[in-house]
Amino acid sequence: MDPMLQGLMALADPSLLILLVIATLGGVVIGALPGLNATTGAALLLPFTLTMEAIPAIAVLTAIYCAATFAGAITAILINTPGTSASATTCLDGYPLAKRGEAGRALGLAVISSTVGGVLSVMCLMLAAPLLARAAYQFSPPEYFALTLFGLSMLATIGDGSPIKNLIAGALGVFLAVVGVDNLTTVERFTFGSHELYDGIGFVPVMIGIFGISELLVQSNALDTIRERVVMKAVKLPSKADYKKVWKTILRSTGIGTFIGILPAEGATVASMIGYNEARRWSKTPEEFGHGAIEGIAGSEAANNAATGGAMVPTLALGIPGSATAAVILAGLMVHGIRPGPTMFTEQANFAYAIFWSMMFVNVLFLFIGLYGAKLFARITLVPTQILWPCVFIFSVVGAYALEQSMFDVWVAIASGVLGYFMRRYGFSVVPLAIGLILGGMLEQRFGQSMVMLDEKWWLMVTRPLTLFFLILTVLALFGPSIWKRIFNQGSQRI
Amino acid sequence: MSDSSVHRSRESWLIAFLIVSFCSAAIWLSLSFEKMPPILKRGIQPSDFPQLVCACIILMTVYMVWRDPVRVVEPMGSKTFGSLLLMVLFVAVCSIDLFLALALFAVCLSIYWGERRPAYLAFLGFVVPFIVFFLFDQVFKIRFPRGWLTNMWYG
Repeated sequence: MDPMLQGLMALADPSLLILLVIATLGGVVIGALPGLNATTGAALLLPFTLTMEAIPAIAVLTAIYCAATFAGAITAILINTPGTSASATTCLDGYPLAKRGEAGRALGLAVISSTVGGVLSVMCLMLAAPLLARAAYQFSPPEYFALTLFGLSMLATIGDGSPIKNLIAGALGVFLAVVGVDNLTTVERFTFGSHELYDGIGFVPVMIGIFGISELLVQSNALDTIRERVVMKAVKLPSKADYKKVWKTILRSTGIGTFIGILPAEGATVASMIGYNEARRWSKTPEEFGHGAIEGIAGSEAANNAATGGAMVPTLALGIPGSATAAVILAGLMVHGIRPGPTMFTEQANFAYAIFWSMMFVNVLFLFIGLYGAKLFARITLVPTQILWPCVFIFSVVGAYALEQSMFDVWVAIASGVLGYFMRRYGFSVVPLAIGLILGGMLEQRFGQSMVMLDEKWWLMVTRPLTLFFLILTVLALFGPSIWKRIFNQGSQRI
Repeated sequence: MSDSSVHRSRESWLIAFLIVSFCSAAIWLSLSFEKMPPILKRGIQPSDFPQLVCACIILMTVYMVWRDPVRVVEPMGSKTFGSLLLMVLFVAVCSIDLFLALALFAVCLSIYWGERRPAYLAFLGFVVPFIVFFLFDQVFKIRFPRGWLTNMWYG
């Protein structure tokens, strides 16, 4: 049977469907809670998937990813606080529209745009991931090394942080990945004689720490924030006139979101910003943006949900995370003994397609959850911070412990949380640290393999066309923006 | 120069110093790694890659100090400092019992952050740890470290 159909058959299992419904509801709750986002949610719930089979486990994580990304719009529209950073641009027009008494219309538009963006991007994922994987079959260690390096170089452009600080954080993650016994030579590195460090620093406790515990410390500074909540009567489906006005924006943002998602390390936040800006640029009424323009909501929401499907393309086809949440999902794949990469589409094609179909199911499911449950989920924002974050801490600690049943992992999670807090305090993003930790091992392994293959003449890498291509992309990712800025500034000075 | 800019500048130097010191220490430690004979080293020595990464971090830190110095994005409030201290307390109480430490931390943090309602505090101190313990123990078959409270269940 065709693997695509076999993957679809996996959804015929009622227990998986029930699990996906629960995970989607959980994802919506996580996304609706200010401070919690898809990445934190996936990291906190990863230990819950340990006893599951691989398909339900990863399907649950992807469901949380998709649903939480969508649900950020609920708080963005109703309390002017994005539930996730990917919904920050939704606030700009969603909240003004809600204040005008059109909260239901704004949420309806967000739901429809998110669903269309999500469904179309999963379709792209189904088509693009196997093609990319087939192309990746041509790759040998030097190409993989250059590609992984390119993935790391893209860290420079994530978020609105400083590129150099992102790169330092990413390199720190790569450094943490070398702790433990070297797989190639069995030499101990930075273990200090501690047997807990022989297998290296675990991905899961670090992610729980830097995303969960560090956020607790950040939230301790925001206890006095007063949120004004808009009362909503009911979610309304967009009118015919609304559809006419936004359909092009939704399709454009879906394309943008999917493309941005496919780029290694770039996620829904960047996608929503570009989607929103492009919606304004193409709009016939750009002056309405910031005052309740429906194209603004559609542009932002379609793009951020499309990025979730896009981000899974490099994650599954190449083993390079497309976003921070995809990095957590990648850690989940590794924990379940699944090695993402080109072979996944030949040796575990059923698994890959089961994940794609479950993502499709979740994207359709939150259409109904959004339309019928948004009013209820909006009430979740009323959960006091003083109750929510102690609970998050309990789940963080127990989750960190559960994977290896080791208190050492709890200390790693707490230490990572404190490190993450101080990194954020000084303007370093924690996302590059997570991605660097995931990619560090791969980078070293492929570098070593390349050196063996090229007889220790590393400079021969540039004689291989594909390797050279990825190395050029790496240089462009690192220096392109500053060169472009310089050229642009000189041009504008001449004018 | 204003006081705040002096403060920022000091922190900027301090962070750069910490990063460079950490990487220098890592490079120094890596010098003691076992060297493999050419036939076994598989392309690179075990110390090569960490040294390369640390050297890159040092170079980038120097660039950061020059072009984009560290600034405090958000000053640390007293609540954050107190929360950090509560984490230290949590680590200390963990040696007695993990769930006792979790319940204590949750209640203390909540009170410290301004919660005063007894029902909510009881929920955090009793209900949540109880549910989490039995969920992981019974459903996920996770065995927690022995302590004053967990011994009551494990016997």
